[in-house]
Amino acid sequence: MPIILDGTAGITTPSYGGANAAEYLVPVTAFKNRIINGAMVIDQRNAGASVSVNNNNTFITDRFAVRAATGSGHTSARSTTAPAGFTNSLLVTVGTGGSPASSDLNYAFQAIEGFNIADLAWGTASAKTITISFQVRSSVTGTYALSVTNASLNRSYIATFTINSANTFETKSVTIAGDTSGTWATDNSLGLYLFFDLGCGSTRQGTAGSWAGSWGVGTSGSTKLISTSGATFYITGVQLEVGSTATSFDYRPYGTELALCQRYFEKFGNPDGSSSNVFFGITSSTSSTSARGPRIDFKVTKRAQPTMTLVGSLYYLSGPTWSSVDFANNPETNNTQCCFLQQVITGGVAGTAYTISTTAGSGNYITASAEL
Amino acid sequence: MYKKLPKRDPVTGDVIGIADCILRVSDKACIPFAPDNSDYQVFLRWCEEGNEPLPPDEEK
Repeated sequence: MPIILDGTAGITTPSYGGANAAEYLVPVTAFKNRIINGAMVIDQRNAGASVSVNNNNTFITDRFAVRAATGSGHTSARSTTAPAGFTNSLLVTVGTGGSPASSDLNYAFQAIEGFNIADLAWGTASAKTITISFQVRSSVTGTYALSVTNASLNRSYIATFTINSANTFETKSVTIAGDTSGTWATDNSLGLYLFFDLGCGSTRQGTAGSWAGSWGVGTSGSTKLISTSGATFYITGVQLEVGSTATSFDYRPYGTELALCQRYFEKFGNPDGSSSNVFFGITSSTSSTSARGPRIDFKVTKRAQPTMTLVGSLYYLSGPTWSSVDFANNPETNNTQCCFLQQVITGGVAGTAYTISTTAGSGNYITASAEL
Repeated sequence: MYKKLPKRDPVTGDVIGIADCILRVSDKACIPFAPDNSDYQVFLRWCEEGNEPLPPDEEK
């Protein structure tokens, strides 16, 4: 119930439905921004550390990945260099640049899940217009390109934007009429890619400003950042929204943004980089060489059954020696909600329970990845 | 490069076959045979190119 504080009438509580009912309506803007972690705050994998990037898609800040096929020695990281209103950005630093070969792919991107673009109605006559906005800074001025592409890489729209001043954050936006053709997923598979071109080869160059039945990332005339050794590229405040106007960035609570990220990637053990053992639970030795458990419940149900990785090693208090882990893969124990640790050990005593934890050191943890 | 993993009896831990997941050798990631998993999709494309995963390690 709305409450009105008025200097004359005092405190009143009018009912909905009257002549002024509209003034009590709260605008609904939930999930206005279809980009997750657009402010680059969440960085579960690297916690701000710089990582090498090459001709593989490498995740930097959560949900954002970078690929740099041309040249060598490139790095990327979550940066604390950011425009007013933001605390972080995604930074790409060119090492030794070069001229991209025809098939070279150099870009930063996010893949958006189909569920999160279903209302765009792309691939139908009712396709909605979207606007992409962001804050970008580069040491190299010029006309840059971005691209929206479907999962099959056979529909794409290239748009360009201009960075006018070197080493200065600038606000940019582009509006794209929805695609009335092609296939755009509306389920838990890949809905669309948003690429920021860093200088792709000629094979992935197209014409800006219209939909094409192929995969284009940049244009022949757009700036090839990857060709300039030592060049820097920062981006943050990335937003993709329905409509033809860029609105203010959709700030979400940190916990909400983290949970959205964890649908795709989650890290267990030493999340804060501490060097202590991190307790997982109790494991039971079924023989001298085998132990089972515990079940690890994911904080967030994953988009798909995830890829499980143990980085480093496990430790048993006053128990056997760990050899390897086996993320036993069957529907009863491993699915989108949990995984089960089955371990190969030496020196176990059948029927004995042991506490199990990560080995001390921040380099020991488990990840679950269901990225698109 | 990928390697097959042994399937273990959930009680005894004994090897009873080949697991429904594959090991990515570069980072020891366990990739489930789940159609929606993008790592599994990459593995399938790798196989379509004529590659074959390594056999599982022999138990000592």
